[in-house]
Amino acid sequence: MERDLLRQSVSYHGENLMLLLKCEQSENPDFKRVAADLSKTLNQSVRIVSEAHAVMPPLEQFMEVCFEERRELFYRDVERGDVVIGRINSVRDFGLFITLLCTAGGLERDIEDLEIKALCPLRCVPSTGNHDDPLSYYQIGDLLRAGVKGIDRYHEKLTLSLYSSSLPPHLDKVKLGVISKEDLPLHYTYVNVTADSSQTYEKLLESSLGLSNPLNVDYLLGKLGVSDTQTPSLMRGLQSKHFKEDDFATAIRKKQSVSWALKCVKVGVGHFKSRRYVEAMNEYNKALEIDTNNVEALVARGALYATKGSLMKAIDDFELALENCPTHRNAKKYLCQTLVERGGQLEEEEKLVTAEGLYKRAIVLDNTFQGAAEALEKLQLRIQKSLELKEQEAAKEQEKTKTVETSAEKLRKILKEEKRMKKKRKRSTSSSTSSDTSSTSSDDSSSTSRKKSKKRKHKRRRSSHGSKKHKRRASSCSDKTVDDDIEWFPAPANTSASYIDQKQSISKLISEGEQSWEKSRCEDGRGRLDDAIDRSLENLKHGAQSEASRPGRPDVNGEVTDQHRTQSISECARNRRDSSSTQSEYSQKSDRYSKEFSLQGRKRSESERGGNEKMDKGERNSHDQDDGRKSSGGSLKKDIPSNLLDIFSQIAEFEKEKKLQK
Amino acid sequence: MSTQASASGSVNEARGRRSAQDVEDSKTHFRVCRFIIETGVKLGMRSVPMATACVLYHRFFQSASLQVYEPYLVAMSAIYLAGKVEEQHLRTRDIINVCHRYFHPESEPMELDGKFWELRDSIVQCELLVLRQLNFQVSFEHPHKYVLHYLLSVRSLLNRHAWSRTPIAETALAVLKDSYHGSVCVRHKPQHLALTSLYLALQTYGVQLPRGELEWWQVVCADITKAQIETIMSELLQLYDMEAKCT
Repeated sequence: MERDLLRQSVSYHGENLMLLLKCEQSENPDFKRVAADLSKTLNQSVRIVSEAHAVMPPLEQFMEVCFEERRELFYRDVERGDVVIGRINSVRDFGLFITLLCTAGGLERDIEDLEIKALCPLRCVPSTGNHDDPLSYYQIGDLLRAGVKGIDRYHEKLTLSLYSSSLPPHLDKVKLGVISKEDLPLHYTYVNVTADSSQTYEKLLESSLGLSNPLNVDYLLGKLGVSDTQTPSLMRGLQSKHFKEDDFATAIRKKQSVSWALKCVKVGVGHFKSRRYVEAMNEYNKALEIDTNNVEALVARGALYATKGSLMKAIDDFELALENCPTHRNAKKYLCQTLVERGGQLEEEEKLVTAEGLYKRAIVLDNTFQGAAEALEKLQLRIQKSLELKEQEAAKEQEKTKTVETSAEKLRKILKEEKRMKKKRKRSTSSSTSSDTSSTSSDDSSSTSRKKSKKRKHKRRRSSHGSKKHKRRASSCSDKTVDDDIEWFPAPANTSASYIDQKQSISKLISEGEQSWEKSRCEDGRGRLDDAIDRSLENLKHGAQSEASRPGRPDVNGEVTDQHRTQSISECARNRRDSSSTQSEYSQKSDRYSKEFSLQGRKRSESERGGNEKMDKGERNSHDQDDGRKSSGGSLKKDIPSNLLDIFSQIAEFEKEKKLQK
Repeated sequence: MSTQASASGSVNEARGRRSAQDVEDSKTHFRVCRFIIETGVKLGMRSVPMATACVLYHRFFQSASLQVYEPYLVAMSAIYLAGKVEEQHLRTRDIINVCHRYFHPESEPMELDGKFWELRDSIVQCELLVLRQLNFQVSFEHPHKYVLHYLLSVRSLLNRHAWSRTPIAETALAVLKDSYHGSVCVRHKPQHLALTSLYLALQTYGVQLPRGELEWWQVVCADITKAQIETIMSELLQLYDMEAKCT
């Protein structure tokens, strides 16, 4: 690439060409060589081409103000913080002496021939890294840009500094120090350029490119701080205070648009009433084009959308209208109605929560709106019903999954149930109803604990903290981990049924349990089996009691429950909280296991359900669970495979032998 | 006949001879120019397009007669045309709205009915008329850029504190804006006008500029004499007097 040709081309076309070249030709080795040169060229040319206005040399030069006057004026007008450019003429050990060439910044004067000398003391020269003596960096004849640090006007002495702290904040970016010829300010270079030709100011101005720049007026007005649209005037009638805001074009246009849009809306409403929906929509859209966010148009269009059935669009329109005018009565009314209607639609689509949200919003908007309140109530009932249904289904699922559990777990469950029944019979002094309720509640609790209900609030309501307790004590059915088995059934040493093989033993237990089960649910199943169950329950009781004795230890509760359950952590936390509260309440009340048990059951049922309706549901639920339980019990029986039955029979025989031995 | 009369009217003015009709006419022109400038402010026009509108108006009536053409309509068309020429496009709807309110203060905005559209049509047609009357020479050089450059140069001569104390720039621009009330704007070179307005501003505040071989205004404008400056100044000041008479 030819260096000179490229340079010429770039300086003519400017920055754009340079960028393009850099992008496209970055791999080209020729270009790389010339690239550095080009950027320099660009800097120079850019300065000249993109002039916002004509830069003129100082006027005093043309005026040929005399030497003394200029000197005087210079010293009068130079201020601290001005930037000057000069040439170093001597380097002493206490600083640099500089002869000023021109000003670059605040002041624009012709001072070259004034031979103004200034001193830059040593302390104002920043040290340049690797040089020990900062002054050694500077040589005579260097061009230096410095800031004026101090002035003694009377003695005509100037002190300069090379630290940028001497400059005012808006000149922060100016680089002080040694500069090259390219960095000299335009008005100075122009001076040099035109000095020989001795052009007049006028000619210079006319020939300057910046004068033809159509935007120079705007730029210069900005530079001088005068607003273009509010230019001052000396005429009395044109003073700004005489102009009223309402007379300005934008204000009038706005008012006009509003009334025009309203006219269109009226026409549209006429169409709407005569059921010409397409024309009505056209009119409304026209109105909104004329005046976007016109409240009337939005409300009318929303009503049209609602009538045609596009409820979401209607809601959007009403909301927009209410944003603009929150007190619009019709908008509120229509919005309520549409929300309720939409809620109804969503209900049918089974999106109950969203529907609830919409109803609530409608009520918030207008709490005298009957329809919304009624709909909300209906919906809430429906939600609860659906939740119950879901819970039942989930329970059934759980029951079903339960039947697919290992035989060991099945056995365990049966055993636990039996034991519990026996215990109740043994210990409960209360009526059978209480045991029934406790059993039902325990059933309830166990089944609820088993369930994984999706709705969290229901989880809270039915807070299975009580059920967890049950689980803990009765080590009931929902744990599925083998560890739990091991924990809860440590091989009891003194039982005649020595459990060599846990599985086998458990299967034996199952068979025994089956048999006893088949006789009757509440029948006393004597024997080793019961002992084993007793022992296991003892352990649980101990565990439970120890927990009971530590009312304020939610962590333990949580831990234990965590082990036994596969719930989400949040649920556990909630349950923990719940359980700890109930536990603290009741641990003091009852000593006896069963009382606690039953009380827990009753209180839990009460606390779980906040209101009456919930109570009903709980009872209903418990009944449902009962049924489920029974059915699951029945299904249990059916699902045990035949080989297990053999095992059961073996266990039974074994037991009989033991009895005989005794 | 009437065309000749008005044409000679402006010539008479330049020669210092004034008939009653001329005086009346200049009052009308003053009022209409005041109308143009006020409308310009309300439309948010910049200074240069506003100046173009006034110049279009003055030039039009240099060769046309007030008896034949409705001056306010010409003014509205001049505003519209100036917006196009100086790249600050204004909408006829806004122009009509503002003008309507000027003539009927505190009234409701016009309905967008037949009358409105007729008015709009008349503006557009008048615009064509103005173009033809001016032989389609509608771009002018305005004193604004000159006065701004002069201000910059003069600023460098002054002590910065003196500059910030006295509102020289604002005054010069105000004088320039007000000069458009009369035909002085079309009878002098833009450089001269710029110079005079700056001179007037400096004189008003008594600002002393350094003196060299040449006065600053001699440097800035080589071909102007003190007498010329004085003449233009007196014409400018007459406009301020006229305000009292006309409004």
